[in-house]
Amino acid sequence: MSTLNNPHELIERYLQSVRFWLSMTNEKEGILAELSDDLRSQVEEKEVELGRALDNHEVADILKRCGAPMIVAGRLAPKRYLIGPTLFPIYLFVLKMVLLWIMVPVFVFIVGPATLGSYHGDWRTAFAVTLGNLWSGSFVAAGIITLAFAVIERTHTIAQVECKWDPMNMPPVRKYERKPSLLQTACELAFNFVGLIWLLLLPHNPFLILGPAASFLKAGPIWHTFYIPILALAVFGLLRSGMTLLRPQWTWWPALGQILHSVFVLTILKLILDAIGSTPDGMWQPFVVLRQTSVTAQSIRVSAIVNVSVLFALLGTWLGLCIAIPIHTWKLMRNIRLERSNGEHTAPVQAL
Amino acid sequence: MRLELRRGCLTLAVLTQLRTECYGYTLRKALADDGLEIDEGTLYPLLRRLETQGLLESQWREEEKRNKRFYKLSPDGDKILHQLLEEWERMNASLTKILQEA
Repeated sequence: MSTLNNPHELIERYLQSVRFWLSMTNEKEGILAELSDDLRSQVEEKEVELGRALDNHEVADILKRCGAPMIVAGRLAPKRYLIGPTLFPIYLFVLKMVLLWIMVPVFVFIVGPATLGSYHGDWRTAFAVTLGNLWSGSFVAAGIITLAFAVIERTHTIAQVECKWDPMNMPPVRKYERKPSLLQTACELAFNFVGLIWLLLLPHNPFLILGPAASFLKAGPIWHTFYIPILALAVFGLLRSGMTLLRPQWTWWPALGQILHSVFVLTILKLILDAIGSTPDGMWQPFVVLRQTSVTAQSIRVSAIVNVSVLFALLGTWLGLCIAIPIHTWKLMRNIRLERSNGEHTAPVQAL
Repeated sequence: MRLELRRGCLTLAVLTQLRTECYGYTLRKALADDGLEIDEGTLYPLLRRLETQGLLESQWREEEKRNKRFYKLSPDGDKILHQLLEEWERMNASLTKILQEA
């Protein structure tokens, strides 16, 4: 650090640092001149009080009391917003709309499938590429929106827009049904119970799923591996509905139970899809096979149709759940947020 | 909460003090002498805001070999100050009444 010739040089250095942190503004020189005068007046007053000139340390104490140059510059500079409080709620709304309701659907339903096609069905690479593009695309979209709103803020465009509204034209109050109705839960419980019984009867009564085709078709060996996990899934479904019925005060449970159920289904589907493609001879494991006594051209055709249909049904379910899980998670988060905000509103005023 | 209460009081105190012309440091000192300490980072932005709102007028003048910015209440500021002081007295009376009842 260079030596100080006199205490006033310390003030000059301080003002130089404040100048560095002050943003470009027409008032910059005025702000610095006022600050300079204030500091020098403080020094002079102290000198009159002591009857002598102040040394460097005493001047440094005055500057320390004033604050760090960066903080002082921040306090003295005119307040500016990239996006001000008037525009901010609109900005946030547009950002959410574009990112969640435009970008994500476009990438899931258009860009994703197109990428999958260009990578010849290599879904892992296609998924990674799509996710990467979604990530960078979201940043670009957010940047453009932020820039547009910053321009609107800077040019005061919003102040020129005449806000026309009529209380009579406002939409009716929406009723948020956060708790499922008793009837809905009871039906769900009954359906899950019937489903479980049906599943238990299935191994010895294949006509319950194959109908008349049960005379020449039977379940493939893959179902022997996955029968117990599917049974466990059905039991979980039953418990989930039972819990919703018995504990209606657990408002978070239906959404959380739905998420857990979906994740459970997704895991089993993944294992099934992996298992059907991993045979030693490279062939796909069939979901249904012909009984040895009924091999005809027609039964082979029916068997092929059933196998392809089951495969497509499983893939469709997989895709549906991939979309449903984030939606259920978002609903759960929204419910928790609403519960918390209701709790805050009903709690006694403690914030004061 | 304390800051909100202080912000309104400071504005009123600054406007009242500036019925007589003075520059930043003397204003700060006068307020401090009356028990209302205010730092540079709060006073100068407040003065500029009040000037932008047309409640104050300012003028750069040389005094004691230094350029100083002198502030005083504008005619509009004088009207507003009267209204604010009336409001303040009403609120003060109400608050005193509430406190006595409690």
